[in-house]
Amino acid sequence: MAGSRGAAAPHEGAFERYAVTARPGLEAALAHNLPAAARGTGSLAEALEYAVLSPGKRIRPLVAMAAGDLFRARPAGPLAVAVAVEYVHAASLVLDDLPSMDDAERRRGRAALHRVYGVATAELASVTLLARAFETVARESAIPPAARTRILGELAGAVGAAGCCGGQAADLSADPGAVTLEDLEAIHARKTGALFVAAVRGGALAAGAGEGPLEALTVYSRNLGLAFQITDDLLDVEGDPGALGKDTHRDAHRANFATALGAETCRALVAELLETAVAALSSFRGRAAVLVDVARFVRERRS
Amino acid sequence: MSGESPRPTLEEARDRLRRLGYLQGGVARFVFGRAMADASGLVLAILFAGAIALALAETAAVASTQFRYEESPRAVVFLFLELTVVALLPAGLFAAGVAVAAARSRRPGRDGTALALLAAGGVLAVWLVGTWRLVGGSALRPDPSSFLWGIPVTAAALLAGVTTRTAFLARAFARSGLLPDRPRRAILLVAAAVALSIAAIVLATRREPVRTATPLPSPRKIPVVVVGIDGLALDTLHEAGENAISGLLSRGTIGWWPARLASPAEIWTDLATGVPAARHGVRALEWVRPWGLPALRPPFGTAWYFRGVGLAAGSVSRAPVSAWERKTPAFWEVAASAGIPSLAVGWWASGPWPGADVVENREVLARAASGLDVDAVAIAEFEKRFRGRSVAAVYLPGADILREDPARRRAALARLWLVLDRLIVRARNGEFVLAVIAADSHPSRVSRGRLFVFDGRSPGRSTRIEPFDVAPSVLARAGIPAARDLAGRPAGSLFASGSLETTTVASYGDRVAPPLPARRDTDREYLEKLKSLGYLN
Repeated sequence: MAGSRGAAAPHEGAFERYAVTARPGLEAALAHNLPAAARGTGSLAEALEYAVLSPGKRIRPLVAMAAGDLFRARPAGPLAVAVAVEYVHAASLVLDDLPSMDDAERRRGRAALHRVYGVATAELASVTLLARAFETVARESAIPPAARTRILGELAGAVGAAGCCGGQAADLSADPGAVTLEDLEAIHARKTGALFVAAVRGGALAAGAGEGPLEALTVYSRNLGLAFQITDDLLDVEGDPGALGKDTHRDAHRANFATALGAETCRALVAELLETAVAALSSFRGRAAVLVDVARFVRERRS
Repeated sequence: MSGESPRPTLEEARDRLRRLGYLQGGVARFVFGRAMADASGLVLAILFAGAIALALAETAAVASTQFRYEESPRAVVFLFLELTVVALLPAGLFAAGVAVAAARSRRPGRDGTALALLAAGGVLAVWLVGTWRLVGGSALRPDPSSFLWGIPVTAAALLAGVTTRTAFLARAFARSGLLPDRPRRAILLVAAAVALSIAAIVLATRREPVRTATPLPSPRKIPVVVVGIDGLALDTLHEAGENAISGLLSRGTIGWWPARLASPAEIWTDLATGVPAARHGVRALEWVRPWGLPALRPPFGTAWYFRGVGLAAGSVSRAPVSAWERKTPAFWEVAASAGIPSLAVGWWASGPWPGADVVENREVLARAASGLDVDAVAIAEFEKRFRGRSVAAVYLPGADILREDPARRRAALARLWLVLDRLIVRARNGEFVLAVIAADSHPSRVSRGRLFVFDGRSPGRSTRIEPFDVAPSVLARAGIPAARDLAGRPAGSLFASGSLETTTVASYGDRVAPPLPARRDTDREYLEKLKSLGYLN
């Protein structure tokens, strides 16, 4: 596996360059698509902006857009999916930080949303963002109706019992002393992986991808999502809270990959998962440069 | 897990994640999905791609060198199908080897590429070496179809190589999770280009076809009679009869050459054509005939099937030596083509030829009740047909056939002495020029082949010649210009001064005879006869 690490070298920096180009449009779309009806509802509108427009890395929406770019389709469809994915992600973070869940103090370098606007507003903002995510895709005319239906199904799956909610529930109920690698995978494949898969597949579906490429992208996103989560756990144990912009050692009392496998094994598995992800893109050749470089970005990320 | 049970090792964690569907990706997952689960996908892919490529290479070698196949697309197609089945075994063995290597490889990229090159190179080698061997080395004739065959063969070789590499990588990845450093796809294309270039050089630089010009003879008044005697042990002198014959023949002018071990068909065809087996194509006493197809020489790497399994299974039959496989004309055929009436009786690999009266070897053997009668039958046919012929040849194998039967051999030698004595007397009387060839198909190390010439002169010195000199000498004595592309030259010292034709022609061309009718029954009888006379096991 180590022998294939050089494969990403030609694409190095492609993701950052792509982000510089694509992010202004993405940020504008994220702001523009926030529900207008929230204005006049007191703090909800502010809470939505606080949740969505906070300084995040936007990996998921950018990956959705890059997946759409593989098929050289009109960007409007993948962009709508990217916006929806980021809304779902933001909603999940708001819920994740609530006192009933992780009771986090900081998120994305500033106070967690519920600590600014209160738990009730935070819950409402989360639900509103989820609804807006589905609405954004459902109303996007650049996506063919059949593809829209499939994308909505992907998003619903990433949110529901097979997604964030199911993963979070499993995480909360897990016994840290008895959890197995399979249990950890089952938790994080839903909490983190499902949304990565939905982002990549959704972006590709919006661009008209066929089943073969979708299968390859599924392999890519599953392996990438798990690598991302293992890296996240490593950073939680080893990372700098200032750089991360969130609390560290939050998961010390809960089973995670870093404590379950050890740092060295985690790093080796991350490398192999990312190589597998990259290998799955081989049929796209140079067109997948951005997605290939996302693997490098995940491996090297410090925040 | 974190507290009570030990942490899994990297290998354990990797295996468990793989069972959960991670760490499995790459093109192999989508193209050769079955190979990910077990070895059958790999084996089947290489098995079929390899068998098809091998069969195509072997078919190309046969189709571009053996003219019965050049003329028949149907025969080529059926041969390809049969060879595909035959090639399943070597392809299967190779696939099994690749599967084992894939399971153990630590550098799948390098190893897969190496095996792919081996597969593709093997296919191309089978084609090139097979073509070379079937045609006969330096005697390769430039035929554009040979090179054109290179296109599908190279494509099939590439397919086999790519399949090998892809299947190897899929299998290696399934077992170890290792992926190649770089795709290295271009290596195969470069290798294919190099192979095609080599093939182009090898096949395009072959000898140019020599334009065939019918030699214009200067007919002589006296006919030339050639008597070929097989099995005389003149150098070891075991028998009184051989002493007597030696004394008889020593009255002629003698040319000699070191004898060599080969099949009688090859030795006597060398003598009759003036070229080596590499050019005339006659080597063994039997060929093989796939079911329903023309006879052929087994292509490179298939002897195990055509001479073993296929014969045992009944899908292949034996085909006896015949003129069908001879590619260059014998001296009586050259004479006939030049308008000189000619006769050949009992010679190996002889067959119908326009203008020539030919009694095939199989006909002579069929009429003989035993080895003792063979020479008598041949002589009788010769005497019956000789009148009016300017070039006549008869082959007498009795002494060779009776090698293991001393009593009957003595009787045969006594009869032979009488025949030779009579012929020599007639030659001395100027009725014809007599050339007696004594060449033993089972020579000892000290044996020599000899050409005794009786053309009315006093006996001359013994002269070293080549066996390939016999045919041009006979033709030159009959007034026919010698061909410059023969391996031999007229042996002027053996004949009366000025009696040989001194002009030459570039070539007599190739022997392209009309197709023979199917002779399965007589083929079988001929083979049985050859077996009963001790020629075949």
